[in-house]
Amino acid sequence: MTDSLGKTVVLWLFVAAALITLSAPTIVVLGASFTAGNIITFPPDGLSLKWYGAIAQASDLRQAFVRSLIVATICTVIAIPVGTLAGIALAKYRVRFARSIQVYLLLPFTIPLIGSGIGMMLVFGEMGALGRLWPVGIACCVINLPFMIWAVTASASNLSPDLELAAANCGAPPLQRFLYITLPAVLPGVITGSLLMFILALNEFLVSLLLVDARSVTLPVQIYNSIRSIITPDLAAISVVFIACAGLAIALLDWLVGLDIFLKSK
Amino acid sequence: MRTPRAAYPLTWRVMDGLERVAAALWPARFQRGLPYLMLLPAVVLVGLLVLGLVQIGDTSLRTLDTSTFLMSEDYTLANYRRVLTENFFATVAGRSLMGAVIVTAVTLLFAFPYAYVMVRTSSPALRKVLLVALFLPFFIGQVVRAYGWLIILGNQGMVNEALGLVGVSPMRLLYNYPAVLFGLVQYMLPFAVLMLAPALTAIPAELEAAAASLGAGWVKTFRHVVLPLSRPGLIGAGLVVVTLSLTDFAIPAILGGGTQDFIANAIYDQFFRTSDQGLGATLSLMLVAVGSILVGVVFLLFGAGTLAMAEARK
Repeated sequence: MTDSLGKTVVLWLFVAAALITLSAPTIVVLGASFTAGNIITFPPDGLSLKWYGAIAQASDLRQAFVRSLIVATICTVIAIPVGTLAGIALAKYRVRFARSIQVYLLLPFTIPLIGSGIGMMLVFGEMGALGRLWPVGIACCVINLPFMIWAVTASASNLSPDLELAAANCGAPPLQRFLYITLPAVLPGVITGSLLMFILALNEFLVSLLLVDARSVTLPVQIYNSIRSIITPDLAAISVVFIACAGLAIALLDWLVGLDIFLKSK
Repeated sequence: MRTPRAAYPLTWRVMDGLERVAAALWPARFQRGLPYLMLLPAVVLVGLLVLGLVQIGDTSLRTLDTSTFLMSEDYTLANYRRVLTENFFATVAGRSLMGAVIVTAVTLLFAFPYAYVMVRTSSPALRKVLLVALFLPFFIGQVVRAYGWLIILGNQGMVNEALGLVGVSPMRLLYNYPAVLFGLVQYMLPFAVLMLAPALTAIPAELEAAAASLGAGWVKTFRHVVLPLSRPGLIGAGLVVVTLSLTDFAIPAILGGGTQDFIANAIYDQFFRTSDQGLGATLSLMLVAVGSILVGVVFLLFGAGTLAMAEARK
């Protein structure tokens, strides 16, 4: 089937505009991080790696990055068992009130982020836990949990009840059936979900902003605070760390499960 | 006796032990309750949000005593009255709502062809490029993206420098309403495309071929075949984009420079600038209500079928 020229041209005009808009900030940040000048100019004043040296020296940025990594790790470590169990339960069993439970578990998406953030800020504030890192990790886990559950349920089509029955027939007790049959079947979903959880928690800005104090700023909040004063290329260099993490996550996702799963209709 | 025991591997013995522990903790006769047990951690975790909403509700009914800077002990509706009567909040709400509508329209306009080409292209390489271009900004986070726009659009930014080279004096491209809307569209595009793509995948390409063989041009085919069939995807994507852009914080804060506040920024300011927690909580609760009503109305109008899409929101 060949498309008419008109269709191709019109479609590609839109796609090209979208592609440029999507990629421009990433490319510009990458380019700016290699500038040799002290301010960001266009065209750049020559190339250098000096800003990468500068961020390697800046302990506040490094600490903020470590905090972000800790937050993302806490978030993922909680999300994997919680989301996997919930996803399997929803996909495999007939649950009473399944619809209501689904709607309830979608609350993190339907409640605006600022509402969730403020609410958890008040709750953790009441507990006197603000300023620590674990509340931020838990909060990031809560707001993105539907991603994890969705990823697991989506891969549950691999889950064949016959296989489990066969295993039971061969004498496998429940826990073995779960570990050797059920879990491997949804593993692609678990991988997709945990990658999403990790990278989204690493980047989470608004909820971090609400839950951290001066001693516990995460990297996105640190960048936000610095943006307001003056734009220097060291911010571009530290932003490249995020770009690298994102690139790594995409490569992993593509290698392990394939990006095409996001195109599938259910 | 010794030899067979040694042949019984350690992992088996560990598994058997675990099996016994599991059976003791959750006997087989509780089997019917198992799925609920599996759902419990997730329900508890999301319960934090419900707890948060209750806290917000409680705080919203207390006013700030400006002499002592303490919250009042007794409940009053004064905060709600203030939000509904003061012009400032109407301005911010109007700005956010109008912004959300414009952003949704523009985002869908660009996301639809993007998703269509991504789904229909016969080249796996092109599909991968389009997917990566989509995921990269999505995974980079709003702050870094907004920072990129600051570099591009700032007064000494790339666009103005480039314009300077051809003799055009610098323009103020940032800290205005269009800049915020533009940033939001860029932020929303991946969400919209990823929600539209499954809906478009579900439309068989043969339908379009059939329409074409019956003499319909591509514009007609699009209008009468592709668009109607992708309605669930469009509604789902539209819903997500409206609610996310209505409630966004980072883009209006960074690209609006404090002059183009959306509702979320107003809430933040109430909590962290004026320290009027009651008023901030009231605004949050009303925003949550508006969001829920929006979702509810869409479900009522178009059926909960969009819910399945909302689940596939990624």
